[in-house]
Formats: sequence, structure tokens, C-alpha cells
Amino acid sequence: MEGSTIIFYLLAALTLVSGILAVSTRQIFRAAIFLLFSLIGIAGLYFWMQFQFIAAVQIVVYVGGITVLIIFSIFLTQKAGEKMPKQKIGRQIFSALAAFCGFALVMVQVYQYTFSSNINEAVSPTVENIGNRMLSVGEGGFALPFEVVSMLLLAALVGCIVIAMRSPTETVNEEKTEILIEEEIDVIV
Amino acid sequence: MWSFHNIANFVNDWLSQTFNPTLVTIIEMVIVGVCVIGLFAVLGLVLVIMERKVSAWIQIRLGPNRVGPKGMFQSLADTLKLLVKEGMTPSGADKFLFNLAPYIAMMVAMLLMAPLAFAKNFQMWDMNIGVLYITAISSVSVISVLIAGWSSNNKYSLMGAMRAGAQIVSYELSAGLSILSVIVLTGSLNINKIVLSQADGWWIFKGHIPVIIAFVIFIIAVTAETNRAPFDLAEAESELTAGFHTEYSGMKFALFFLAEYVNVFIVCAIGATLFLGGWMPFHIGNWQGFNHVMDFIPSSIWFFGKTFFLIFLIMWFRWTFPRLRIDQLLNLEWKYLLPISMFNILLITAMAIGGWYF
Amino acid sequence: MFIINYLKEVFGAVKSLATGLRRTMYYFTHHKEIITQQYPDNRETLNFPERFKGEVVMPHDENNEHRCTGCTACELACPNGSLKVITQFNVTAEGKKKKAIDKLVYHLELCTMCNLCIVACPSDAIKMAQTFEHSVYDRSELTKILNKPGSKIMEGVE
Repeated sequence: MEGSTIIFYLLAALTLVSGILAVSTRQIFRAAIFLLFSLIGIAGLYFWMQFQFIAAVQIVVYVGGITVLIIFSIFLTQKAGEKMPKQKIGRQIFSALAAFCGFALVMVQVYQYTFSSNINEAVSPTVENIGNRMLSVGEGGFALPFEVVSMLLLAALVGCIVIAMRSPTETVNEEKTEILIEEEIDVIV
Repeated sequence: MWSFHNIANFVNDWLSQTFNPTLVTIIEMVIVGVCVIGLFAVLGLVLVIMERKVSAWIQIRLGPNRVGPKGMFQSLADTLKLLVKEGMTPSGADKFLFNLAPYIAMMVAMLLMAPLAFAKNFQMWDMNIGVLYITAISSVSVISVLIAGWSSNNKYSLMGAMRAGAQIVSYELSAGLSILSVIVLTGSLNINKIVLSQADGWWIFKGHIPVIIAFVIFIIAVTAETNRAPFDLAEAESELTAGFHTEYSGMKFALFFLAEYVNVFIVCAIGATLFLGGWMPFHIGNWQGFNHVMDFIPSSIWFFGKTFFLIFLIMWFRWTFPRLRIDQLLNLEWKYLLPISMFNILLITAMAIGGWYF
Repeated sequence: MFIINYLKEVFGAVKSLATGLRRTMYYFTHHKEIITQQYPDNRETLNFPERFKGEVVMPHDENNEHRCTGCTACELACPNGSLKVITQFNVTAEGKKKKAIDKLVYHLELCTMCNLCIVACPSDAIKMAQTFEHSVYDRSELTKILNKPGSKIMEGVE
């Protein structure tokens, strides 16, 4: 067994074990932290595969962004150190079944798909290549999906501002980001 | 000639001749780990005594002057005290997370050391995306603060953690944008390439006013990101006792303390690498003679000199300015730093396209 | 104009911050101005600022005479009751009764060195001393009697 294989199994074990702990723990904050470890494990797998850019982006987006948001929403809504009530046995079985179905679906797909290597040379995942691909409009370029995703994000942002606004008649003309920040201050202070 | 590069090569050659490759890799990893831990210990001791002396002189005091010559062993004595103190865990705390938090803070600081170029050809991991890696990993450091604040089961801690979270998340933006300005000029995320691109002058001189603005914004943003005064709301002792580490004592507190100082060192090292040329000696354009004279000073001295200059700058800020209020803090970021740095990055992009730099 | 005001604000802020930084840099580079006293080492040569207030004392002259008339102005002025004037009536040569102090009791453990008694005293009988090493092993030792035994009021002080 090579050293690299051992590292793969270690990372996989970290990802899976913390993933299982994230859904089985009864303290919601611990669940968020185990989710964080699971995501870090996936970032570690990307590093293991030498996709350093993807790994760094995984950490920025999921660990630095989404998990912090989750933790913040727990801070603002939950009480510290309280255990959640135990779920009904029927629900447990149902959710386990749902998870198993999803897993089975993925595994069936993976086994049915014939992975053929050497069809075309893989693009080396440097930042230059990723940037060029992302913004190129030619063959194999991702300019259109990229822009569509940015539109989606814009829509989400506008939606957030609309939700965060106090009343639509009162503060339409004011700068919208300011309202967001004020909300944040009210919460924190 | 003795340089870090030669020593590292010598050790590598000797190990490769004596052991088989797998063992060599493992031994080298252990050596690097021990060196990093040693560097941490030294940095902790040096930075704490430096901070205390600088603060004393700025406030017209003498500072520690009892332990050792001129009080230079004061931080050693403090470390000894913290080592023998009992590390308590409050009974209402989430014990697992409470004990985990300081180690996460420490691990993040250790991971951040990897892509730093300490001297010429002396780097732990010369990765393709060095700068992005640093911004990514440093965003994890907020997690340790949040865990510590939550698991202490203490209102002050929770408050401090939330403030720290809001602060770090918002100041990451302008820090990232000012880092981006140098990346735009260099065209690479690789730390080594960024340093080499400054062989004919550091970016802060080559890029004139826009890069100087980016540098100032970077310094302000990283001061906020490392939770130091005037942005130390997370541990404001007059309001929140000690913020997120109120409940920590003994060695666990020492780890937080050490991680804070190591983070200061790391952000200053990044600032030195991006704006002041890292290990690159002071070069001016094509003045071969002058550049050659500067090359006689070893590259590690240049790197540590610049880093400690920036650390001094941050300490100077800390002991000069009063603490900001939370609304002032967020106003500063969202109404001043972020718009200015966005405009600035447009300017720098135009500069990079037009080639209007030296 | 919004943008001009904005820029003015930014430049004003930078300028004021630079002023502060210049001041602290001046202190940082001028070590001679350090005012810290190396206390236990320079015990003999300690010098205090004039306004340093250590404890209340009553000065006596060489004839063991003080200036206190026993008017209790200091007792009334004291916000936390650290001074207590115990008066007695002496019979003078003409057969008149005259008010004088028996004891002026001073509770150092209650005193906050606020200086109000000194200001209130009409005859300047008490003043603030610059002693500060007040540690004792028993709390009762902190209760002091300010007038010396056998002392009497100075001639001419009313």
C-alpha cells in the first residue's frame, strides 16, 4: 500500500465519519462543526488530487462562507448547549431510507457509466487555464454558464435585500446596503 | 556560503543517501513540523516581549525590566507560568468543542505557514495558488473563534465570537481586494513568481499611488482580521472581559494567545511579500552596481526585516488609536474601505493593461 | 456635492490619524521623557508631583501646638465619614468656657484622599501628606488620632 493511498483512506474516513456524526448528533452546533470537518475532508481530497484551485475555492466558499453563515444563524436562533428532542422512530427509518435511495442512485450511475480514459488530454488545472476556460466564448468555453450563474446570484442578492427591508414604503430611496448593515448591527449590538 | 537554501539541500541530500524515499519524505515532514513548532515558540516569545516594550515606550513607560537583562526574559517567565497553570473547563461548557477550539486556531496558523517564502528558494510548499490558499485558509480561523465563543456557554464569549465573526467576514473582502491588486499587476498567484516580479523594484514603489492605497487598505483590513486594537471588539476587555477566550485558562489560553501573534506575523509576512518584495533585496531598476551591493545582505534578513517592520507598524496602530464601536467598524468597512478598494482595483487594472507602472 | 464631502471626510480622517501616529512616534523615540519611578530601588530619592495626596495629617510646630479649633467643618465636609472631631470645653483664665478639640480621629481605611476636608478647613489646620506606604498587619492601626498627645491650639487662631 502506498503512502498516497493511505492518505486517501484517511481523508475519506474523516469525510464520512464526520458526515455521519453531523446527522446523528443531537446538538445543532456540533452538527454544524462536523459538517465543517466533512467539507474540509473533501477539500483535502481535492488537494490530494492536485486540484489546488478547486480545493482552495472549496474552503473559501463552503468553510469560510456557508458554514460561517450556518453557525451565525444558529447563534441568532438557538440556545446554547441544548439538546434537540429525539426524532420519532418512523422518521428515522424514513430518512435513512431516503439517504440509502440517494446513495443507491449515485452508485448505480457510477457503475453503469464506463469511465474511458485518454479520450482527450485533461487540461492542467492552473489558474490561467481555469480563467481562460471560464471566460472564453469559443469551443469548450464556459462564458454563458458563468454569466447565467452571476445572474442567479444577483437575483438572490436582490431577494435578500427585499426580505431585509423593514417596510417597502418607508425606505425605498435609501441606499439598500445600508439597511442590511443596520439590521446586522441591531442583531450584534 | 550559508543560506537556508543550502542547509535544506544539504539535509535533503544526506537523507536521500542514507534512507529510502518513503522514509526520507516522512523524516522531512517531521523535521518541517518541528521547525514550524520551534518557529512558533520563538515568534511567540519575541513578539510578546516586542509588543510589551513597544507599548511601554509609546506610553512613556519602561515596560518589563526585572527578568533578565532589560527584562528580555519576561515572556519566557510568562510562558512558564501559563504552562504550570491549571487548564479549567467550565461545567456548563460543551467539553469536546471547548477543548477543540484552541487547537483549530493553532492548526490554521500552522497551515498558513506552508506557502510563505522565508528566504531565496526556501519555502515549505511552492504551490501554484499560494495567495489564494492563504486567503482560503485564513477564512477558517474565524471558525475557531466561533467555536470557542459558543462552547464556553457564556454570554460575553458568545457576544465576542459574534462580533469577531461579523468583523472577520466583512474585512476579508477589502483584504482580498487589495491582495487582488498585486495579483493583477503580477499575473500570478504563485508567491515565488510574485517575489521574482519585484526584482526591479518593489510593487509599492513600482505601482505608485494606487498600490500605496491598496497597501494602506491591506494593513487596515488585516489589523481587523487579526482582531487587534483598534479593531479588538471581539476581546474588548472593558466591555466583554476577554471576549471569546474569557473561560480559557492555562495552556489553552496560551494557544489562543500564540495563534494571535503568529497570525499577526503571517499577515505581515504576506504584506511584505506582496508589497515590499518578500525576500527580494532593495533593487532600483537597472542600477546594476547598487543592486549588487544590496544582494550581499542575505535574503532571509530582508524577509524578516520587512515583516518585523510591518509588525511594528501594526503595534504602533494598536497603541495609538482607541477602539472603534461596532457600527463605526462596519461603516468603515462598507462605506469607506470597500468602495475605495473597488475603485482602486479598477484603476490598477487599467494601469496593468496600459503598462503605466515602472 | 456628495463625492467631494466623501473625499474630504477620508482625507480629514487620514490626517487626524497621522497626527496621533506622529505624537506616539515622538514618545517612542524620546526615551528621556519617561516618568516611571523605579519605586523600591529609588526609595530615598522618590519625588512626587506636588498634588500627590497620601494621607491627612495635622502639622504641629515646635511647641507642640496645632491650628485646629474643633469647628467640625472637616467632619461635615467628609463624604464618607473618615474624620471624627471629639471636642471638649476648656475653661479659660477669665472663667469662660472655650471649645477645643480633644481628639481628631481619622479613619485612613475609609479615606479616599478627595481633599474636601482640607478645602473646608477654615484655619488650615490639616493638610495632605505625601506618605503612601500605609500597609499594616491590623486594620485597627489605620485609625489614627491626628493631634499629638498634650498638644494645644496655637495662640491667635480662632
